[in-house]
Amino acid sequence: MPESRLARLQAAVLDLTLDADGEAFHADPAAWAQTRGLAHADGRALADRRDRWGLYRDLVRTALVEPLGDTFPITQTLLEDASAWPACVDAFLASRTVSSPYYRDVAPAFVAWLADSHWGLERWPFLLQLAHYEAVELEVLRHPDAPRPADLHAEPACERIAVLDPAARNLAYGFAVQVATVEAPEPPAACAWLLCHRDPEGAFRVLELTPHVSALLARSQEGQALGPALAELGADPDEAFTLLRDLRRRGAIQGFRPA
Amino acid sequence: MAFTGVGLGLRRPHMEQVAALDAAPVPFWEIAPENVVGQGGTRHRLVMGILERDAVLTHGLSMSMGGFDAWAPEVLDRLVAFLKATGTPWHSEHLCWSSFGGAHTHELLPMPFTREAARHAIARVKALQAKLPVPFLLENISYYAALGQPEMSERDFLLEVLEGADCGWLLDINNVYVNSVNHGFDPKVWLTGMPLHRVAQMHIAGHTWQEAEGVLLDTHGAPVVDPVVDLMAWVLPRIGRPVPVLLERDHEIPDLAVLLAERERLQSAYEGALTGVLHA
Repeated sequence: MPESRLARLQAAVLDLTLDADGEAFHADPAAWAQTRGLAHADGRALADRRDRWGLYRDLVRTALVEPLGDTFPITQTLLEDASAWPACVDAFLASRTVSSPYYRDVAPAFVAWLADSHWGLERWPFLLQLAHYEAVELEVLRHPDAPRPADLHAEPACERIAVLDPAARNLAYGFAVQVATVEAPEPPAACAWLLCHRDPEGAFRVLELTPHVSALLARSQEGQALGPALAELGADPDEAFTLLRDLRRRGAIQGFRPA
Repeated sequence: MAFTGVGLGLRRPHMEQVAALDAAPVPFWEIAPENVVGQGGTRHRLVMGILERDAVLTHGLSMSMGGFDAWAPEVLDRLVAFLKATGTPWHSEHLCWSSFGGAHTHELLPMPFTREAARHAIARVKALQAKLPVPFLLENISYYAALGQPEMSERDFLLEVLEGADCGWLLDINNVYVNSVNHGFDPKVWLTGMPLHRVAQMHIAGHTWQEAEGVLLDTHGAPVVDPVVDLMAWVLPRIGRPVPVLLERDHEIPDLAVLLAERERLQSAYEGALTGVLHA
């Protein structure tokens, strides 16, 4: 329990606004305050304005839930259809996972919480992957700009690696999350290899890759030259190089440099 | 650069339209560093282009000045770099707390009106001021309930923190009005005797009546009402300087043309209120 009166009051308000059981305070404010180590007068002051503290509960929860609806429309629809969205939100808020002072980090915190808590995965095994995919768009669009390295070549070669644009994400999912929609929010159980990136105009794009191309890009990111990687993957270099040139033209790959 | 007149908060729905203009349609913009720093992409470049072209004041939302959570070094570094990049003459934050124990609420929660809380806020303000490259202003917030048993009024609490921290004051005139309605006091009496010499900037905004709770909510989601405009006009000559006033709009954001028309209305009231002062 916090030592100072100020800290105990702030801790109590956090419980009051983020704990799933909002009724406990309203049912017996004095007892609720006592369990949080509040002085009698402080507990009474909270109880006297319980309506206003209920308002603060609504304000805090609205502030933290709004970005979820904006970022995860498909996940929200899926869970709302199953009447599970309120429970999901309650569990997320009670976890107190939002720690960043940047409001934009609320949505990534939700994905991190799903990953840590495994909430809903038993019933919806694709849930984390779906939410992750929904959050990728903002992550890619808002990724900090960086100067393009000066030593990059325009052409792929066997002794070179492909350098992804820093905003691009080479992703592999066990469910075809890219076909999920608000109308049909359950993605089919089928592997998906997706390259999410910004095009030269800065718009968000998603490319479906073959497993070989996805693996090739992953190996490049790990520093393995294209030639040996292609040999190990059993892929045709001419075909692969044509595709890599296309990815560079689309803005997903910055260029190529020696391994 | 002298900041004066009525400015506007730079908001996402207007970015492309504002960026396409040849010059700023307002004397200055205000922007929250938290919504800009550490990002990239097309929209970010638009914002940075506007901030490079136009005059800007910065206003923080989430440093939890009355809280206990330490400010991460990278958050401070980004903030300092942004303040330097924009050339803002000062930076402001709210007298409130928003996070505790590492959990962030992204809401402006009221401080207890106690001496302990005042001492704590003063120390936090001084600590942040010491890290910033520009003077720091503290803003009075709207509050809907006192946190715990008060030892003093909200007014005396604010006064104690402003004097103790020896910092500037961002006077949010709508918050004074909202509090006056919700807690039943005369806003002019509240303002009389306050350290108006510390006011470097003002905020003005609209609010919403919340029928269920019987309370005015500081929503920034409606046009500014006449009593708040009148209060601004009443206090400006008492401040005695043409401090900049910022029109905030964060919800139910209308077209830019609508907000610019509202800004014009406020600018007229601003100039009318200061006529005697400016020509004295």
